Amino acid sequence: MTSRRFWRRSGATGWALSAPATLAVIGFLLIPIGAVIAGTFMDPRGVFAPYISYFNSGFRTTVLFRTLQIAAITTIISLIFGFMTAYVVSRAPGKLKSLLIVAAVFPLLTGVVVRAFAWLIILGRNGILNQTLLGLGITSEPLEMLYTQGAVIIGMVYLFVPLMVLSLVGVLENIPKDVLQASSSLGASPLATFWQVLLPLAVPGLIVGAVLVFTGSFTAYATPQLLGGERQTVLATLLHQRAMVSFDWVGASTIAAIMTVITITIVLAMSHIARRINPMAT
Amino acid sequence: MSDRPHPFLIVVAGLVYLFLMLPLVIVVGAALSDTTYLTFPPQGLSLRWFENIFEISAFRRTIVTSLQIAFLGTMIALLIGIPAAYALNRFRIELPKWLGTLFVLPILVPEIVFGFALLKSFTVGTGAPIFLSLLIGHTLIVLPYVVRVISASLASFDFSVEEAAISLGSAPVKTFFTIVLPNIRAGVIAAFILAFITSLNDVSVSLFLTGPGISTLPIQILAHVEQFFDPTVASVSVLLMFLTVAVMAVVERTLGLTFLAK
Amino acid sequence: MTQPLDLQAVSAHYGTTKVLEDLSLSVQAGELVSLLGASGCGKTTTLRLIAGFLRPTTGSIQLGGRDLTRLPPHKRDIGLVFQNYALFPHLSVLDNVAFGLKQRGLGSSERRKRAMAMLERVGLSALADRAPGALSGGQKQRVALARALVIEPPLLMFDEPLSNLDAKLRVDMRVEIRQLQRSNGTTSVYVTHDQEEAFSISDRVAIMSAGRLMQFDKPEILYRRPANTFVARFVGFENIIPLKVIAREGDVVTAETAGVTLRLSQAVYGAIPDTFLLATRPDGLVVSTDPAAEGLPARLGLRTYLGRAYQYQCETAAGPLIANGSLTAPLEAGTGVKLVPMPEQCTILASEGAR
Repeated sequence: MTSRRFWRRSGATGWALSAPATLAVIGFLLIPIGAVIAGTFMDPRGVFAPYISYFNSGFRTTVLFRTLQIAAITTIISLIFGFMTAYVVSRAPGKLKSLLIVAAVFPLLTGVVVRAFAWLIILGRNGILNQTLLGLGITSEPLEMLYTQGAVIIGMVYLFVPLMVLSLVGVLENIPKDVLQASSSLGASPLATFWQVLLPLAVPGLIVGAVLVFTGSFTAYATPQLLGGERQTVLATLLHQRAMVSFDWVGASTIAAIMTVITITIVLAMSHIARRINPMAT
Repeated sequence: MSDRPHPFLIVVAGLVYLFLMLPLVIVVGAALSDTTYLTFPPQGLSLRWFENIFEISAFRRTIVTSLQIAFLGTMIALLIGIPAAYALNRFRIELPKWLGTLFVLPILVPEIVFGFALLKSFTVGTGAPIFLSLLIGHTLIVLPYVVRVISASLASFDFSVEEAAISLGSAPVKTFFTIVLPNIRAGVIAAFILAFITSLNDVSVSLFLTGPGISTLPIQILAHVEQFFDPTVASVSVLLMFLTVAVMAVVERTLGLTFLAK
Repeated sequence: MTQPLDLQAVSAHYGTTKVLEDLSLSVQAGELVSLLGASGCGKTTTLRLIAGFLRPTTGSIQLGGRDLTRLPPHKRDIGLVFQNYALFPHLSVLDNVAFGLKQRGLGSSERRKRAMAMLERVGLSALADRAPGALSGGQKQRVALARALVIEPPLLMFDEPLSNLDAKLRVDMRVEIRQLQRSNGTTSVYVTHDQEEAFSISDRVAIMSAGRLMQFDKPEILYRRPANTFVARFVGFENIIPLKVIAREGDVVTAETAGVTLRLSQAVYGAIPDTFLLATRPDGLVVSTDPAAEGLPARLGLRTYLGRAYQYQCETAAGPLIANGSLTAPLEAGTGVKLVPMPEQCTILASEGAR
């Protein structure tokens, strides 16, 4: 009996039970990624040589900034439309609300390739949009919509709006109803309640949603590959191209390191901020 | 609250849902077209592109591989993830906080970086077979979902029930299977489904872990789209959507659909 | 500033379920009225209707002659104190209190001055810059009270404001609420399920059940003269004995139940109908071992100790009754006794069928 109590208290059982999963993550994820990043600093040309050559390449820096730009625009659009939609969903009566939630979950469970492919059919040179525009006589020649930044952003927004809606519905439903009622009982108009109570209380959730979308679109592969092609190369497609087409492993590792550092930094910084300003934490 | 959202917001939400649904409808339409090129609305209804999927051996093979990997990866993730989630909840005080964060890492780290790192450091480094690498990669990317969903259902489980069973003479291990597991059954089912679908749809990790003769369905779709612009891919997409609908129907039956939103 | 509240024939539905039926209630200016009842009785629905979070299906709500029935909540000018305080977690204590003033367009220095003065009154001026999350339950409730009072509303409403506090604090707070309400003279509606709380704090209490008003009167009258069996049981009249008059001699009425006769005086009980119910608390039945005593023959059952008395479960021909006996002479189970009703602690109710 005493030995069991000892095991309980020391948490050794806990360690033992979580060991397989812990070792798997360390062995197959942390160490390989660590090795890739460490490898970039062991270049014979010098410690930071791969990074210097990365940032000396105009093309590669353009790719980095394009990726950041696409991710930022995607995030902002998803935030605006996601928030408005989530607000309506959270206010919908029971049955309709479940239906709307299911309708947002469904695209989320449909693969990224399928969802990017859908936009390929729509935006293509002979796609539905061009056919419609030509049919209506709005344009005389098919528009080049594919392989533009706009196409990539549309595809990304399509990818991430459901995620934003679902996470914000959760956030809005967690705001206690009586706090909103208290606001209107004190004379705040619906608009004043929105700006002075609802929005401030939703900010931590908005930050979390924004981080999800930003990091997701910053590292997405299939959508920019299909809708952006080589003309809209982003970090993920560049990483794949370097590694699997050019067999430039050092270059690929450098990109991997840059992506990891940016992603982790943003996640840590923003979740720290979200936690600090979260009024409901205490 | 009895007051409705502003009509403007309702219109915006309606447009957003239209934006979400329309492309999927278009894919279904394109899949049913009788033409050799992609078009919508479909011209002449036909199921021949569905037959075509199975006539292309690459599709046949990758469908099987994808299902194998998704099933095996999910099962392994459950096998190592359930004890981990149990430990995280049961021994919350004893275990350090970073352990919980560790299990989130596979979705925190860019997937494409993980795929590349696994290829470079593990597959190439050890000469491990591609199938094994693919399985490991998929197990790890679904592990966070398993741990999170199981943790969520354990969080609402009253561990004093487990202690009651032990005090009545049930052995701890047996207690887990007879008392704890039945109570988190819904969570296990949800975790299985979420993990299975995530694995089935994965691109970024599989991208690097394919080799001669071994590939997954999404990778095959990507390759096919870049070469051919026929409705085969649309049909495969519809097939995948059907699978999703079927899964959602199962979830609806067993747990209620709003469960997925959590 | 203080105004009367008038509800006329108000009904409400949740979907197709009727949750409030034909409620008419008048609260005089400056009065504190409690709505008392078990959960689901319609008291919170009534409060939400008055606040405007729910629309009545029929009926009207008037405050000081102003028709509120169709007015949105933010135009009603009613101070509300919520069960869970409902403080704004993202605002400081001071900003919470000043929120309503801001909505009324007051300048920031004036807002600050008034909010500080109100915090002073509830004894929280030292915590003005704190976040609400850092306060104790009692402090949160004081902030909620200050926030509702500072807008000087013609009507204050409380939704079970003390149910999340511990017993000691609950008693202190209700005294405090009553004092603040008295000194402001604000008309108030107070929702609670706690009888003692309602009786101690209110000018009048409305007892509700299943969406209906059962009785609306002063606590003293509710406690001693319940109007029907529901209210009688609610305020502790655990023994309700059905009786039938068999003889009348002047003021004295002889009534019979299960072969036992009791003599009651109309000078004490008022007019007694031919069939009626005699209701009494356990304290109102004297346990007498004197075989000559005039009362219901009973056999004692289980005895429990209440501190101030022994309580007996009794078997009588009229059914099981509960009586309290003296501490000095505990009686054993099985003892045959007489249960003698004490007129000043009994009341007469109309038979349910006759109503």
